[in-house]
Amino acid sequence: MASVCLYFQIHQPTRLGKFTVFSEKVPYFDDDRNRKYLERAAMKCYLPTNATLLDLIDDIGERFRIAFSLTGVFIEQCQKYSPEVLESLKQLSDTGNVEFLSETYYHSLAALFSLEEFEKQIMLHRGLIRDLFNQGPKVFRNTEAMYSNEIAETVEKLGYDGIITEGHESILGWRSPNYLYRPEGCKSIVALLRNYKLSDDIGFRFSAPWWKEYPLTADKYAKWLSACEGDCINIFLDYETFGEHQWKETGIFEFLETMPYEILTYENLDFKTPSEIIEAYKPVGVIDVPKVISWADIQRDTSAWLENEMQRSAFEQMAKLERSVKTNRELLHIWRLLQTSDHFYYMCTKWFADGDVHKYFNPYDSPYDAFINYMNILQDLKRRLATESKLISF
Amino acid sequence: MRVLILGWEFPPAKTGGLGTHCYELVKNLGRKGIGVLLFIPKKSGDARRNLQNVEIVEVGSLSSNPYNPTGSTTFEQGYGWSFFDEVRAFNEECVAVASTRQFDIIHCHDWMTIPAGQELKKRTGKPLVFTIHSTEYDRTANLYPFRSIIDVEKKGIDEADLVITVSSNMKEQLMERYEADENKVAVIYNGVDYLRFPGITEKGHRNIVLFLGRLTNQKGPDFFLHAAAKVLEKESNVLFVVAGQGEKLPELIGEAISLGIIDHVVFTGYLSDEELLRAYEMADVYVMPSVAEPFGITALEAIASGTPTIVSKNAGVSERIKHCFKVDYWDTWDIANKIVCILRYHVLGECMRRNSLEELKGLGWDRVAQQTIEAYRRA
Repeated sequence: MASVCLYFQIHQPTRLGKFTVFSEKVPYFDDDRNRKYLERAAMKCYLPTNATLLDLIDDIGERFRIAFSLTGVFIEQCQKYSPEVLESLKQLSDTGNVEFLSETYYHSLAALFSLEEFEKQIMLHRGLIRDLFNQGPKVFRNTEAMYSNEIAETVEKLGYDGIITEGHESILGWRSPNYLYRPEGCKSIVALLRNYKLSDDIGFRFSAPWWKEYPLTADKYAKWLSACEGDCINIFLDYETFGEHQWKETGIFEFLETMPYEILTYENLDFKTPSEIIEAYKPVGVIDVPKVISWADIQRDTSAWLENEMQRSAFEQMAKLERSVKTNRELLHIWRLLQTSDHFYYMCTKWFADGDVHKYFNPYDSPYDAFINYMNILQDLKRRLATESKLISF
Repeated sequence: MRVLILGWEFPPAKTGGLGTHCYELVKNLGRKGIGVLLFIPKKSGDARRNLQNVEIVEVGSLSSNPYNPTGSTTFEQGYGWSFFDEVRAFNEECVAVASTRQFDIIHCHDWMTIPAGQELKKRTGKPLVFTIHSTEYDRTANLYPFRSIIDVEKKGIDEADLVITVSSNMKEQLMERYEADENKVAVIYNGVDYLRFPGITEKGHRNIVLFLGRLTNQKGPDFFLHAAAKVLEKESNVLFVVAGQGEKLPELIGEAISLGIIDHVVFTGYLSDEELLRAYEMADVYVMPSVAEPFGITALEAIASGTPTIVSKNAGVSERIKHCFKVDYWDTWDIANKIVCILRYHVLGECMRRNSLEELKGLGWDRVAQQTIEAYRRA
C-alpha cells in the first residue's frame, strides 16, 4: 500500500516598483502590477483549480485528500485584490479533506541569516492560517523547500511533526524518496521528501512534445504510481502548474479532473495529507544534510538566490538591518517584504544569457535592473530608518 | 576563391566600424585561405600591412584623397560637393583598375563603393555582395538625410545578389525603408578581437564615465552630457570623458558650459589606438547612447576591456549582448540612474563585466569571416 500525498504551493511576491537614485517619496511596491498578476493568476489558475478540487472532493468524498501551503504575502494580496480566491480556499478547508501547512509568512530566506527572525515569521504565518482556516499546522515547509539539519532542528523545537524538502539523490543516495526519514540530530520530527521525478512529470514535462511519455494521461500516471514501491509518494507542485505554467489548452485541467479517479482504481493506492502520512508510517532511515538544499533547478542548492556577488551583497545589507529595524513597526513590515526570495531570484545571472526558463512573471529586463532597483529601495529604507528613528528618540 | 573587396577606410585611417570591419574581415578571410584583393582610396597614411593572402591596392591619386591631411576626415565635416566628386572618381578608378584583374566575387562596403561594384558586375557577370554598415538614415540620425545617397543605397540593394547587414534591426530597416527582399539579406554581427584588449583588470574606481565615438547626432553625445548633469546632482566626484572628434564638438563644449558641468567633462579629441585602450580600461562605465547604431563595435571593445557598459536599446549590439544595461537614448534620467548605480555598487560592475566578457567568446572576427564565406557561396 502506498499513499499519494498531493501538496500545492501558492505564492506571489510583492513586486517592487521602479525606484531610482532620484526617487523621493515614491512607493516601494508596484501595486498595479501586483494586482494585475494576481488577478491574472486567479482567473487562469486559482479559481478554476480550486473549483475543480472542490468538485472532486464533493464527488469522491473523504478518500480524496490534499494539502496546501500559502505564503503570507500571497494571502495579503488576495485580501486586497481577490478575496474570492480566499473564499474558495476556505471552502476547501471546510471540507475537512484539506490540510494547510506552515511556512514563513514572507516566503523569505530568513533561515539563512537569522533563526530568530525565521521563528518570528513562522509564528506570524501560523497566526494567519489559524485566523483564516482555523487550523494549527503540524507540518512545515520552508521557502523553496530549503532544508538542512539545522533548519530541521529549529523546526522540531517549534513543535512540528514533519518538514518537507526535496527527495534528491544528493541527500538520499540509493534510497527512495517514497518513505519517511528522520533528520539527523532530531528525535521526533520526520521529513517528507518530494518525489521530484513524478512531480516534474506534471509540473515541467506535462506538455513537452520532446518527452517520450508525451502526452501524459491520467491512467498512465496512475499506473506509474501504482507500480511505485514505498509508503508515500509525495507529489509536490507549484499551484500555478494548473493553468499558468501548463496552459488550459494543454489539457492539464482534464488531467487533474480524472487523475484522482484513476489513482483510486488501484487497490494499493490511497490519498493522505502530510500529517496523515506521518501518523500512518514510520521513518526508515536518517538523512544528513549539513549544507542547505532546495528544490530549485538542477543544482538543488541556494545558488538561484545567493550565488553572484550582487545577490550576496544585497542579502547581507538587508540582513544587517535586523536589529535597527525592529524598533519601527511600519518599516519592519517593509523590511520583511524585502526578504521574499523572489527579489533575489530576479538578480540571478546563471541562465540569463540563454533566456532564463524562470522568466515567468519577472518584472525586470535583466538581473542588473533587479539589483539596482532593490538596492535603491534598501538605501532609501536605511535613510528612513535613520531619520525616523531619530525623531522617536527626541 | 578570390574576392575583390571595395572598401573605403582601412586602419590606421578610420572613423568607425567600417574600417575595423574591413581590416578584420580581410585579415581573417586571408587566414582561411581566401584570396583577397582589396581596393581602398589612396591616402597619405600607410595602409599596407603584411596580411596573408591579401593584396591591398590603393586606388586613385593623392589629389582625390578623401582623407583630409589635417587629421579630421571628410565624414566629420559633412558632405561637401568635393566629397561626391571624390566618391565618383574613386568608383571610376576602381572599375578601371579592376578590369585588369582576376576575381570570382565582388564585395562592396557601404554606398561609397557600390556604384563600382554594380558596374563591375555588369561587365564581368560576377556575383555582387553588398555589406551595409550604416544607412544614410542612421548616419544623419534621421535628420535631413541626403536623397541622392539613399537612391545610391537603394539601387545597390536592388542590384546586389546578396546584402549583408550587421544586425537584425538593420535588416528590418532595409526591408522597411529600402524594400529589400528578405531572402536576400543576411545578418552577420560584427565582432571584436577581444584578445587585443586587457579583459578584467583592477579598477581604480576613479568614477570615470566614458563616451567614445564620432561627435555627431547619430552617436547621441548630447544625451550623454544631459545624463552627466543628472549624475552630478547625486554624485559630485565624477569625471565624464568625451572621446572622439566630429562636427558637434564646439556645440557640445557650449552645452557642457551651459549645463554648468564643464569642470567635470573632458573632451579628448582624437585618440590613438593606445590611448583608446587606456580610456576603455580606466573607465568605470562605458555609455553608448546612440540615436542610431547598426551595430556598435565600441561596446564590445569596452566589454573586452573589462568595463561595465550601458547601450542604447536600438543598437545592433544589444541583440547579442545580454549582460549590459539597455536604455532608451533619450531617457537621460534612466541613463543617469544606471551610471550612479554602477558607480555606487561595485559588485554590480564586477558581476556585469565578468559575465559580458564571457559573452564575447562567441563574437570573434573569425566567425565573421566564416559567415561571410558562407554568404559568398550563397551569392
